[in-house]
Amino acid sequence: MVRIKNRYIAVQIVPYAPVKSLRLNDHTLTKCLLQNIEKYYGVYGLGVLEHGFRVKYCNERTKIAIIRCLHRGQRYVSSILPLITLIGDVRAKFRTLYTGATIIQCNKFIIKHQRQFLDRMMGQVASAKERQDLFKRVMELDMDR
Amino acid sequence: MEQTKRFYDFCIPYNKDDKIMRAILNELVELGYKTIAIDQSFDHSKKEAGKRGSEVFPEPHGIEHLRKEFADKLRILQRITILYVDANVAHAMSVSLNLRKFNLIAGQPKTDAALTHCCTAFNGDIITFDPAAGSRLLVQRKPYLIAVRRGIYFELKYAPAIADSNNRKDMIKVAQNYCTKGKSRNIIFSSGAAHEFQLRGPYDVANLAFIFGLSEDQGKNAIDRSCRQLFLRAASRRLGKTIMFVKGEGPIVFSDSSDDNHSEEEQADEMDALVTEAATEEDERENSQANKRLKVA
Repeated sequence: MVRIKNRYIAVQIVPYAPVKSLRLNDHTLTKCLLQNIEKYYGVYGLGVLEHGFRVKYCNERTKIAIIRCLHRGQRYVSSILPLITLIGDVRAKFRTLYTGATIIQCNKFIIKHQRQFLDRMMGQVASAKERQDLFKRVMELDMDR
Repeated sequence: MEQTKRFYDFCIPYNKDDKIMRAILNELVELGYKTIAIDQSFDHSKKEAGKRGSEVFPEPHGIEHLRKEFADKLRILQRITILYVDANVAHAMSVSLNLRKFNLIAGQPKTDAALTHCCTAFNGDIITFDPAAGSRLLVQRKPYLIAVRRGIYFELKYAPAIADSNNRKDMIKVAQNYCTKGKSRNIIFSSGAAHEFQLRGPYDVANLAFIFGLSEDQGKNAIDRSCRQLFLRAASRRLGKTIMFVKGEGPIVFSDSSDDNHSEEEQADEMDALVTEAATEEDERENSQANKRLKVA
């Protein structure tokens, strides 16, 4: 069976100054990434990547995003991620968490990652309500885009 | 031999301000680095020649408190980067006692002749280059191959490449030169980051290998296995020919099951002396791992 091979890159966005939530949606992220690809690889890179490039998921509270690109152009994306220092109008850097071939694997990894994050954060939160809030906020994953 | 864990970052510039240093180290822990080296640079070309036999190299900075603080999270090494223009440095290095206190020695040649000397005769472990001076110095094929045979590693710092696009171009040029001249053998990546925002995670750094002309495997080795090799080489340079490496760890208990002719008191005195000796040794090496007592290299 022949199918189109994709790669899903799960990234975390680490802002320069710590903030609660980023004003960021998938459109700004896509625009920023494509701009950078054009900057580093020119028109050729854009041509290789633009088809099938998409930000599948972007959570501005947990600052995690999933980028989809074609298998062929994956290295073009992953190699420029460390060089980016400006996302939209925020000074921030990317941190690659995981690269997977299906979005389900990415999802699994993110859930695992968030669990670890929760384990660390839960100790610092006092009241039960805040705790529930935090849990809801961190574990929210809607993949319907 | 001594255990070190991946990942490695062998160039964190020393900063007098403890707050900045701590921020950087915390970020390194967060990103998943386990072994790092704090770098201290020294310009040999400015020193006037003449005073022979005197110590020209500085003492390592005191970072004991940082070591203690990050004892279970990071293994902190010390490294010196020697900037030089001619081969005179070799003599100064051979007589220096202070150099032995550093874990790693890096050379940063400023001229073509120095670069060739650095590859063929330099008694160090790393060859680095100055990102600010641009890519005037490009290594030749012969010296590069000799350096590879001698087990010297070439360093690429990624933080300047992130900060400035001119540096980035130079960096790519130098890296591609290593690729054309000798298939990018013996290359390590390190950060050289003065601020924690310039640090990147190990996998991000490995991905940078793509634009530096390294293969995927080489990229990963550049932050992991090559660094381990480099560490072992540096250790062997410090220790000389070594078959076995024994390390004192914790209180040493002497058992005296055999019946000696010595009187009780004499033995007790001897033991006291031994125990105090052991204690001082223990002080020196308290930040190494606790569970390894005896290692065979």
